[in-house]
Amino acid sequence: MAFEIKVKKWHAVAAWTWEADDVCGICRAPFDGCPPECKYPGDDSPVVWGACQHAFHLQCIQKWLSSAAEQKCPMCRQAWEYKRAAE
Amino acid sequence: MLKLFSVKDKQKQQQEAAANVGKPGKLSAGELRIQKDMAELNLPSNITISFPDGKDKLMHFFIAIRPDEGIYRGGKFNFEFTVPPGYPHDAPKVLCATKVYHPNIDLEGKICLNILREDWKPVLSISSVIYGLQFLFLDPNPDDPLNKEAAQMFVDQPRQFEQYVQRAIQYGTYINNVHFPACSASC
Repeated sequence: MAFEIKVKKWHAVAAWTWEADDVCGICRAPFDGCPPECKYPGDDSPVVWGACQHAFHLQCIQKWLSSAAEQKCPMCRQAWEYKRAAE
Repeated sequence: MLKLFSVKDKQKQQQEAAANVGKPGKLSAGELRIQKDMAELNLPSNITISFPDGKDKLMHFFIAIRPDEGIYRGGKFNFEFTVPPGYPHDAPKVLCATKVYHPNIDLEGKICLNILREDWKPVLSISSVIYGLQFLFLDPNPDDPLNKEAAQMFVDQPRQFEQYVQRAIQYGTYINNVHFPACSASC
């Protein structure tokens, strides 16, 4: 004897995380959280990578680059370039 | 896309600024970051921290360093930290509150340390600055002096330099007509 189950309705649940562990080196808030200027994690406070592979919250690195005389990664002092998304 | 973000940011900042009127309790970005720095601070036994305005005013504090080796061993040197609201994008401001004969510290307490000026970057923290200060006592840098007389003596007569410094720490002394009060760690 087998039960026959009919799915009437389903509700999908997903979890997301940035592919960066740990915390942003500038604001020290988790990458999955958001920097102090933002209210919501996710699209509001994206994580960006430099060509040097160091990651920061977009707002944090932008603020630093706009105030710094030279455009360098604050971790390794290499010239800062946004890493392009993999094709 | 980046432009879109900045427009959104601006709107949000305006909204938040309006919402924050009359809510002085909300912490600024700099204060939030300082809280994290303090939580992670792991000081060795020869360094102590004190908050003259109370423990909830983290933007102003004193650090006392007692070197246990090197030329400055046995002394106690106080540093006043003032953290600007733009921290960590702006470096903390640090003054040496103890008069000391040192190539990289002048008689007004100004300090020549790269990470406090041109080499500051926002991934550094209060710990990094404390390590930098500790390093200045272990390894003064006569090539980049603020007190040129001290730097000259440090290079030309290192033995005498050490004697002067130790006498100043233990008993207080005059060096080139400037008085350096005693600042021994034991008193």
